[in-house]
Amino acid sequence: MVLTEEEKRVALEQTGSILENYPPDRGNLIPILQQVQEKLGYVPLVAMEEVARHLGVPAVDVYSVATFYNQFRLIPPGKHQVKVCMGTACHMKGGHIILDCWKRRLGIDVNQVTPDREFSLERVACVGCCTMAPVTVIDDEVHGKVTPTRVDGLLFSFGVKIPKGQQKEGETVEQG
Amino acid sequence: MSRDKVIKENFTKLQQKSRAAWESLRERPLILVGTATCGRAAGALEILKVIKEELAKSGLEASVLEVGCMGHCYAEPLVTVYKPGFPPICYGYVTEGIAARLVQDFLGGDDPCLEFALAALEANDMVPAFTDFPRGMIEKNIILDKCGLIDPENIEHYIALGGYAALAGALGRDPGQVLEEIKASGLRGRGGAGFPTGRKWETCRLAPGEEKYVICNADEGDPGAFMDRAILESNPHQVLEGLAIAAYTVGARQGYFYIRAEYPLAVARVKKAIEQARQAGLLGTNILGSGFDFDVDVFQGSGAFVCGEETALIASMEGEPGLPRHRPPFPATAGLRGKPTVINNVKTLSYVPHIVERGARWLRETGTDGSPGTAVFALAGKVINTGLAEVPMGTTLREVVYDVGSGIPGGKAFKAVQIGGPSGGCLPESALDMPIDFDSLSQAGAMMGSGGMVILDEDDCMVEIARFFLDFTQKESCGKCTMCRLGTRQMLDILEAITRGQGKPGDIELLLELAEDVKAGSLCGLGKTAPNPVLSTIRYFRDEYEAHIKERRCPALMCQSLIAYYILPEKCERSCDACVGSCPVEAIYTNEDRIKVIDQQKCVKCASCLEACPPQYKAVIKLSPPELVNEMGA
Amino acid sequence: MKTVTLTIDGRTIKAREGEKLLWVALENGIYIPNLCAIPGVKHPAAACRLCFVEIEGYPRPVTACTEPVVEGMVVSTRSPRVDRLVQTAFELLLSNHQQDCANCPRNRSCELQRIARERRIPLRVKRLRKLERELPVDDSSPALRYDPRKCVLCGKCVWVCREKGTGVLGFAGRGFGRRITTFGDVPLGQSGCNGCGECARICPVGALVEKKADI
Repeated sequence: MVLTEEEKRVALEQTGSILENYPPDRGNLIPILQQVQEKLGYVPLVAMEEVARHLGVPAVDVYSVATFYNQFRLIPPGKHQVKVCMGTACHMKGGHIILDCWKRRLGIDVNQVTPDREFSLERVACVGCCTMAPVTVIDDEVHGKVTPTRVDGLLFSFGVKIPKGQQKEGETVEQG
Repeated sequence: MSRDKVIKENFTKLQQKSRAAWESLRERPLILVGTATCGRAAGALEILKVIKEELAKSGLEASVLEVGCMGHCYAEPLVTVYKPGFPPICYGYVTEGIAARLVQDFLGGDDPCLEFALAALEANDMVPAFTDFPRGMIEKNIILDKCGLIDPENIEHYIALGGYAALAGALGRDPGQVLEEIKASGLRGRGGAGFPTGRKWETCRLAPGEEKYVICNADEGDPGAFMDRAILESNPHQVLEGLAIAAYTVGARQGYFYIRAEYPLAVARVKKAIEQARQAGLLGTNILGSGFDFDVDVFQGSGAFVCGEETALIASMEGEPGLPRHRPPFPATAGLRGKPTVINNVKTLSYVPHIVERGARWLRETGTDGSPGTAVFALAGKVINTGLAEVPMGTTLREVVYDVGSGIPGGKAFKAVQIGGPSGGCLPESALDMPIDFDSLSQAGAMMGSGGMVILDEDDCMVEIARFFLDFTQKESCGKCTMCRLGTRQMLDILEAITRGQGKPGDIELLLELAEDVKAGSLCGLGKTAPNPVLSTIRYFRDEYEAHIKERRCPALMCQSLIAYYILPEKCERSCDACVGSCPVEAIYTNEDRIKVIDQQKCVKCASCLEACPPQYKAVIKLSPPELVNEMGA
Repeated sequence: MKTVTLTIDGRTIKAREGEKLLWVALENGIYIPNLCAIPGVKHPAAACRLCFVEIEGYPRPVTACTEPVVEGMVVSTRSPRVDRLVQTAFELLLSNHQQDCANCPRNRSCELQRIARERRIPLRVKRLRKLERELPVDDSSPALRYDPRKCVLCGKCVWVCREKGTGVLGFAGRGFGRRITTFGDVPLGQSGCNGCGECARICPVGALVEKKADI
């Protein structure tokens, strides 16, 4: 994914102001990256280089940490973040079927963003709502007992129309 | 004045102030709303809003508190009402309508709306109490005792109910005495392996060095467990107090909470608890005038299951990827920044104030000889009462599943219970009467692990559950060591092939061989325990593996590649269109007899039609192997 | 420095106390398979899981790279349990290794071939499935050729690149996706690598090779 000059500028500016609050101690690396993601929604490479310079560590070490932990996103997320719970209870109640549904409807795989950047899809470990399994979290709102038809309903509530029977795998949903 | 007198005096002042605040709260009716994550997901915040609006509307005087989780997650949202003249009554499955009635009819009138009551909190003549039910007779709340009954964001509530007295008491004693108490109690670490807490503390205490650390491990990563989260959200001060006592005992002046970033509410509540404890003089310099300095910070884990492993947790706090290191040296001698470090789980630390306050012998009155105290389980899966339960060690699985959990919903048959999450194992019906403790579980091929307990019924495939957990550990493997990175991957490939109906003769034997070697040869605890779900399912449910491999059949009708959905023509109502409408891929058509038929080529096996078919027809069934569909048509 | 006496495979050996068993054995001409161990590094990675040995009094085999020698230690480098663990770890690595010995520049100087020879383990693994990694060969550097599909993730190149090179190499990802790469996964040719070739000289397999060695 190529960032625009504007996105790069914002990323550098925000990262710079975050770094002011942290002494150059490697132990601060993860809190710094968390702050960057909090501000930008993701951790771009330009920010990682800036962090590496500040902490005096090789840039590849920051990349190493950012690619190790689930939390860090390297590309901007969609406007709406769809997180499908893959905890044990949700799995036993068909969480994988729901994940398949989201993939099919959004035309993307896990950790991808629709080309219009409207939706991104993630799988999450237990969100602790096992009694409501299977669970999907959209933009921090928990939706319980999700069924394939409910997936369509949720998409509809975001203004997405699903032309029935015309959706094919790999096709992106059109905006209604 | 002597040091311990100063401590006592300072603490008594604090206690009196807190008690006064707590008692003034009880002068008028008090409404508790459970707003931990589980409650919020069920709509507790809306209930809270309705209660506040109704109170304002009616002009009634009452206090409303947001509390944590009582463990009865199945009945969320939960509301508890204290009204003078009535026992405290807990209401479950509260809707906005019920909430409004509780204010209007119970507070406004004198009708306690018993039709919505779950149970009373105390025995009385009016309403059955929790202790009157089988569940209440088995449960014994030690570390969950204040959860759901106090405002977790108010330190005064905790202190008023006896909190921080243990810390004050400990500070008045010699750290060595506190250590002896913990050692004598036989407390074992609740994070997984059950290592004796006292021994860990002793090693750290004796380790040379001025600088030492204590860390509370709240990186709960088991995909089916949420008790650490519930405790931190419901009673963070109890854990903080335990951590402070640990610090005093081992000689640490700095502590950390390592909490998953996925638990935002827990992070917020712990931060608040730390702030309040600092203001009350229970953290910081010269705590309660004892001369002991201790402070705590929060570190947010970034989502890596392996960071539950102590050395990986330390690596991540040092700004590294969470790769475990070879032990020894153990963190208790060389941990964070190379300094002696005690790392204890949330639950382990929660017991500490109770032990210090009531003595080692008191803890040993509960539980078994080898595993004193209680066990906290997160019940999930095919069980009626999902939620948290604290029971004495030595309780049988049957009591937990049938008395505490009220059994299997929908009249289905029990098949297995998965204990300990990705490190644990699946135990069959024959193990139901086994008393649960650390040792009995590991002998049976499972593990206490985190305490996640997932109940499985006849519809759950044991090969699939093994595949699910291995898929989890394989994804969470740090990738550093060969055995875990590639061994779990090989095993997963085999399991995936079996669940797709592509298993080969000899696959079970190969799985067993690899499992043994991954267990014996992995660098850290994650790899050493990753094969447990596979080993235990082969041990107890080998016939299911064989059905998949030899007959290409999934006996539980769960593995998607091995089943087909089929509409029984004789049961199809014909004029009903429920299944057609429910299908997300238009795979169901109406034939010339107006019977609905599934186009197997188009079907994505999402089960929508099965759920949509009205229960009086039950025309949609699953078949395995899928080729049976052809025979049905013939 | 205190000297201790220990026995390895029946041979009496004197060594500096606290020295790791693996180095003591290798210095005395006793071969123990290993890929990730680097002399002088304080915390051994203990990642390759190949250097298992039996030590008398220990309940199970342990890795020689992590075990400091002590007075009177009795070690055997072979036992049925050790052989089984080593074979499994070795076969796992092979199942994940792009095997093309005949055309590989490291043919006959490859550590995997050496382990196979020493322990009489066939290089063709029958019982395991092949675990392919879909990673591109990096031919962008004028000096080096990097084939990540051959990499055994020992980490020696990362270490030497920091000690003697430009420090552009590092680990990324995790689990099965763990790989040795550069910042942002850019090709070596654009990474700031100066082509010193230290990584190729330390690579135990044919993952990183110098281009002139190709000819």
